[in-house]
Amino acid sequence: MDNSRKNLVNIFVPVLSILLSILIGMIIMAFLKANPVTAVKYLVIGAFGTKQNLGTTLTRATPLIFTALCACFAYRCGVFNLGGEGQFIMGSIAACFVSLKFGLTGIPAVIVALVCGTVAGGLWGAIPGVLKITRGQNEMIISIMFNYIATLLMGVVYTNWLREGSVPQTAQVPKESQLARIVPGIRVTWGFVIAIVIGLLIYYFLFWTSLGFKFRAVGLNQTASRFNGYPVRRYMLSAFIISGAVAGLGGAGELMGTQFRLINGFASGYGFDGVAMALIGQLNPIATMFVALFFAALRTGSTTMQAATGVPTSVSDIIQALVIVFTVAGMALTQLPEFSTFIGRFFGRKEAQAV
Amino acid sequence: MSFVSNLLLASVRMAVPLLLIALGELYSERAGMVNIGLEGLAAIGSLVGFLTCFISGSTWVGILCGALVGIAVNMIYAFATVTLCANHTVYGMAINILAPALASFIYRIFFGSGSDLSQITLMKTINIPILKDIPIIGPLLFSQTPMVYLAFLLVILTGFFFTKTQAGLNYRAVGENPKAAATLGINVIRTKYLACVICGALSGIGGAYLTTCYSNTYTEGNISGRGFIALAAVIFGRWSGGGILAACLFFGFCDALQIRLQVASVGIPYQFFQMIPYVATVIALTVIGSGKSGPKAAGKPYRKEER
Repeated sequence: MDNSRKNLVNIFVPVLSILLSILIGMIIMAFLKANPVTAVKYLVIGAFGTKQNLGTTLTRATPLIFTALCACFAYRCGVFNLGGEGQFIMGSIAACFVSLKFGLTGIPAVIVALVCGTVAGGLWGAIPGVLKITRGQNEMIISIMFNYIATLLMGVVYTNWLREGSVPQTAQVPKESQLARIVPGIRVTWGFVIAIVIGLLIYYFLFWTSLGFKFRAVGLNQTASRFNGYPVRRYMLSAFIISGAVAGLGGAGELMGTQFRLINGFASGYGFDGVAMALIGQLNPIATMFVALFFAALRTGSTTMQAATGVPTSVSDIIQALVIVFTVAGMALTQLPEFSTFIGRFFGRKEAQAV
Repeated sequence: MSFVSNLLLASVRMAVPLLLIALGELYSERAGMVNIGLEGLAAIGSLVGFLTCFISGSTWVGILCGALVGIAVNMIYAFATVTLCANHTVYGMAINILAPALASFIYRIFFGSGSDLSQITLMKTINIPILKDIPIIGPLLFSQTPMVYLAFLLVILTGFFFTKTQAGLNYRAVGENPKAAATLGINVIRTKYLACVICGALSGIGGAYLTTCYSNTYTEGNISGRGFIALAAVIFGRWSGGGILAACLFFGFCDALQIRLQVASVGIPYQFFQMIPYVATVIALTVIGSGKSGPKAAGKPYRKEER
């Protein structure tokens, strides 16, 4: 398959999957005795209808962009980091300690918290990375185990170490150390801007620098990279640390900008959601960010939809899950030799049969 | 004494769901299919097992339906990975996202979002006469729910199947070298689908065990990593029935110990004890290293036409 057609397929398959998933979602809505068209209308209004709603959508997209970029970066270098959630949580724990215990306020507090969060996420990502390159461990299992450990550690923080009052939660990040809003009155903070910038940086690094090329080469073919003299293990470990750091920064940003305190359920599910978005986005950082935006819109909108039509918000989770199921299957389908032959016959082209 | 024997009793009980799921994965990997979607399969099995048991009042119906839904969901995985040659890991993740989403959706539809938990009656333990009176191991092994007996029986049958029968050797050949297997007249595709049926059924049963034999209610996230720990148990147990049994008993012991330490200790945050199974998994995998003793073609797509 030549490059332009491959790009076309890369866009066509996810978009078709999204449409198909929404269609199935609408069928489910119909089964729940709601009018699917009305429900989808409220979904869209809820996500984009007012400035406030749009702000909520962007706010919800921010952490997802971070975990999705975390997954995306790691997979590009051939390491399957499923520990985005743990790294995200460690970042937020670090930021929580900084903002509540270090006695800093204002801009310095924000900067130190974000940096500490990034470092914490990177270190948490380094553990499975080290085990992978030194002990040849299955990085998926290890990184998932560290998700559970991080979640439990966060539990210790909000029920014990930094607990405030009788409710199991930490104190709120002081007003003056919270991430500022871009436009007063709308919830979106600079965290969203940071997310976009990180995404663009990752895109630039992966596709426009020679080091990024080497990272991708390791992801595509380890043996060839080794014979080319690339330090494959070092790149893999770096990929783990960098992707962990991205997730950690996201966690710190989420704490300082949106949630302000650690509480039960914080960041729950963000890790796997990030994996899904990276895969739907075909591991392209920019496409991945759009996918994250789409899913954030789906979630924000589904709240309005539930209020207006009674369709439960979990329909949006089903739609999201179906998108990944269809996209991955669809991409596999397009890579089958039979498919190329079929398309070739369909368009009457000869070159397709040579694939 | 009663602390120790209770602990061991709980270890066996906690090991069984892991054991069922891990055996499912063993059947899958022996046919060359690395399925990391176990967590999701167990989640949907757990919910459907609970729901059908709640409606019918029979734990056996719950177990059966858990198995059926596990098979149904795993057929999506089978179609994508066997027929479409999708990446096993990626598709396993897709199942891990789809199945819990389905489970929580069905739960919401059926029980609403109220916080009061519906409960069911757990499966009764069955005492095996005479044997249960053996000191220590009697109550441990012969005064359990039938599911425990079935799980242990399955370990023996699995070991026998893979090492002593022609069918088992043929089955393993698919996981080691599918092309060679195909030239010997073994139907590779059918074996792989069969593997997915077994894996889906056992994972679903493993999930259903948690709601019908262990805790009498369903809470979201009740699998809490058992699917992945089972995956580790297969590696830790070196792809053999007996090894997996030992690994699962070890992880079951960690789980049982964790609960008892939580109750027994004062002053230490309970979450530290809850970490024990996960930390144990990491340590176990790190200590045992990565022997390359798994099926050789595990995780690789099989294309008939390719040479």
